Amino acid sequence: MTPFLEGLLRLAWWLVLAPLLPGLINKVKAWVAGRRGPPVLQLYYDLARLWQKQVVMSTLASPGFLIGPAVAWVALAGAVCLVPLGPVGAMLSFHGDALLMLYLLALARFFTAWAALETGSAFEGMGAAREVSYAILAEAAMVAAMLSLSVQTGSVSLVTMLAPSAGPGAALLAAGLFTVLLAENCRVPFDDPNTHLELTMIHEVMVLDHSGPPLAVILHGAAMKLLLFSVLLTEAVLPMGELSPPAATGVLLAGVLGVTIGVGLVESLLARFAFRRVPLLLTTGVLFCLFALLVAWKGGRA
Amino acid sequence: MIAVLLLLAVGGMVAGMLVGRAAPRLWLGLTLAGIAAGLAAAVSVLAGGTEWEWHSAILIGGEPLHLRLDGISAFFLVLLGTVGGAGAVYAHEYWAERLHPRSARVARGWWSALVLTLALVLVSANGLHFLIAWELFTLSAYFLVTLDRRQPAARAAGWLYLGASHVAVLALFAFFALLAARTGSWDLGPMREHKELAPLFWLALFGFGLKAGLFPLHIWLPDAHANAPSHVSAMMSGVAIKMGIYGLVRFSGWLPMPTGAGWVVAALGVASAVLGVAFALGQHDLKRLLAYHSVENVGIILIGLGFALVAVEQGDTMWGRLALAGGILHVWNHGLFKALLFFGAGSVLHATGSREMSRLGGLWRPMPWTATLFGLGAVAISGLPPLNGFVSEWLVYLGLFDATQSHSEAAWAAIPAAILLGVTGAMALACFVKVCGVVFLGAPRSAEAARAHECGGMMRGPMLLLGAACVAIGLAPVLFWPVLARVTSAWRPGWADATAPAPLLMLGGVHLALAAAAGLAGWLLWARVKQRGLARALTWDCGYVAPTARMQYTAGSFAGTITAWFAWILHPIVQEQRAEAVLPAGASHRSHTPETVLERVIEPMGTVVMAVSGAVRRRQHGRVQSYLFYLLIGVAVLAGVVLAGGEI
Repeated sequence: MTPFLEGLLRLAWWLVLAPLLPGLINKVKAWVAGRRGPPVLQLYYDLARLWQKQVVMSTLASPGFLIGPAVAWVALAGAVCLVPLGPVGAMLSFHGDALLMLYLLALARFFTAWAALETGSAFEGMGAAREVSYAILAEAAMVAAMLSLSVQTGSVSLVTMLAPSAGPGAALLAAGLFTVLLAENCRVPFDDPNTHLELTMIHEVMVLDHSGPPLAVILHGAAMKLLLFSVLLTEAVLPMGELSPPAATGVLLAGVLGVTIGVGLVESLLARFAFRRVPLLLTTGVLFCLFALLVAWKGGRA
Repeated sequence: MIAVLLLLAVGGMVAGMLVGRAAPRLWLGLTLAGIAAGLAAAVSVLAGGTEWEWHSAILIGGEPLHLRLDGISAFFLVLLGTVGGAGAVYAHEYWAERLHPRSARVARGWWSALVLTLALVLVSANGLHFLIAWELFTLSAYFLVTLDRRQPAARAAGWLYLGASHVAVLALFAFFALLAARTGSWDLGPMREHKELAPLFWLALFGFGLKAGLFPLHIWLPDAHANAPSHVSAMMSGVAIKMGIYGLVRFSGWLPMPTGAGWVVAALGVASAVLGVAFALGQHDLKRLLAYHSVENVGIILIGLGFALVAVEQGDTMWGRLALAGGILHVWNHGLFKALLFFGAGSVLHATGSREMSRLGGLWRPMPWTATLFGLGAVAISGLPPLNGFVSEWLVYLGLFDATQSHSEAAWAAIPAAILLGVTGAMALACFVKVCGVVFLGAPRSAEAARAHECGGMMRGPMLLLGAACVAIGLAPVLFWPVLARVTSAWRPGWADATAPAPLLMLGGVHLALAAAAGLAGWLLWARVKQRGLARALTWDCGYVAPTARMQYTAGSFAGTITAWFAWILHPIVQEQRAEAVLPAGASHRSHTPETVLERVIEPMGTVVMAVSGAVRRRQHGRVQSYLFYLLIGVAVLAGVVLAGGEI
């Protein structure tokens, strides 16, 4: 198989599987609440429907309103290309790709927020402001997490960094990364993806005015980001590199499923926090990652 | 060859100064020709040619003229030529005779003088001549900052700049004089073996750091950059403050370093980076905001340089090289995208007459070129791939991450530096999303913004050039590695790797693929939307039928959360009247982020100095009797000391 074809297949794995996660989360929430809930494949249907629709665009918006989601999606697709998939490795790997991944996520954030501000709506401005403000703490946590993995493995390349388990600090790192996952993917208790009250939202409120194919691209990108964080969390914590390929594949899938169920349970059992308490919770996430770094530092080669 | 080119460059600048008053077109031609000659000389040195050195018998101030163009000088000379040339073209339309009849003539002369004196600073290898050129460049910049002298704000900014610069000059006088006294010559060159010179670096750090706008020595910078004409702001921010960086790079390469110098430089760099961007977030004035981002980016440059110095101290050069390469490349990068952003801000000011972000908005429609190019600059300065800002920040990050793995003392500093660099990046992103959103997107917030017009070709051309340079460094970073290797080898011989690190090649490839994919995806989505149909409607505002432009989110509210986190240093001033009671009479809100260091530290210190001076002055009033009394007391005290058995 040519490397190019192989790369396309890997990318296809990410693209096709990503919309499954929000469906699973909704199923878990429905199960906890004793409802039947929407089908697991609901997001696929939604995406197909949106792709067919006409677009309604604000009279104030520039072409950036449409280009923004496209660039953000490409940035997220680029980020997933750098994340290894257990035994099959990453599409692309080099010294320092962990930092490129972080900054590709930032690029996606820039263009999502840009597109949100296109409409001149105060709601969307509010959402964009919250997104970029909380991302500062999330970024600190992510850099600390990457440093801890880097200290642990002596590498700055995701393939090597994610191969062993996070060692004695695994539980701390898992807690930190899970907090960041919830914040960056706008889940409860940071944000409520189901609410229809704009004043309580971050991500949903940024995409209020989007419709049709651009909205489909945004939703798909968000699903891809959730999958990326789930894979990252699973691989950072579990010793993927030490298992046989079939076992590693199974563990990866089970890990992602576990994270998804975890998100669903958190969403069912917790209420959304007041906004002034969000930075506190995120700071706790930063501290988890910092302590994981400390443990990696002391445990690594002492 | 290089001598001829440099002579041509000087000739072009001097001729430009002479004809600048009367013939704008001829001035532009001569200036550009001179700059082209200077650029050719610098590029030939950077491209691997031999260093150029010229000892002459000509005495200036009693010292023989000694010029030198090595890798470091040539590197800064390229930046000077690029921004200087672009600014000259930009000024031709932006500060034209028609718009500024009083100052357009002198502006041209001072521009040539500034470029010439900056180049002299870069090539002079004699301490005395360095100081003379430095002082001349400070003065040329002062006259350019205060071009619009009728504005009290411009006069005050110029005064502050002049005062602060001269404090820096004082430190540099002491630095060069002590250097000359200890080595016996004003001649400059490598003197790493003279260990006793090491403490002089602290003087250099103060003098050059003040010029570079290092926190907390940046007090003059926001005012000067905000109130100068925009092409001058671009030059100040893109090139003039880099002279401070040049001094630090130059003398940290030539002199022995005191122990701990690297730690101090890196710590100051981290403080500048985080606090610079925090202050930027609090600003409502577009150009003042950009000025604070200079403090941030100087911080990033100094993180790279500081860790390189730590690496020198520890004798471990692998991660030091990466950090240094990142810091050095960031000098070019910041010069390019900051000049682009100031040109963009100038274009907005030109079109609307306002720098106040709360009066702008929706400018993408009348000014599509400016909006797009400013957006490009914003992505670049936020350090996002695939543009140049990310390349240099990534190199600095790699240096920091590799330093962490060394498990040495440097790792303790590298961990907080890396995390805070991440925080800085995220805050810069927040700040530029805010700027682009408030200035260019949404609806116009004032009549001036609604009447805005696009700038002409002479202003657009330089912006396109700078934008293209940002894209080029981002997409093909490997091509620029030999330049960095050249600078590194001039800094510490034997440090440079001629071949680019393999990851940099990969990064360039990823950037290319990313740019292509983004273009393709944008086009495909656009085509899909066209195919399915596109309808326009009012922005959805919860069913409110009469939205006004004042309902939009403002710059202040956008940054509110972050400025609240940094209130401990920003000390924002908020005056508000809340809408209370059942029938509120009215509500207002006004917020302002002052320059805390200036207003809370420097000004109170100035007040104390003035009070003491005033008290002392009362003792000197011209009455002979009192003076005789002072003499008598003096003699009595001396007599007392001698009688008590002390020695004088």
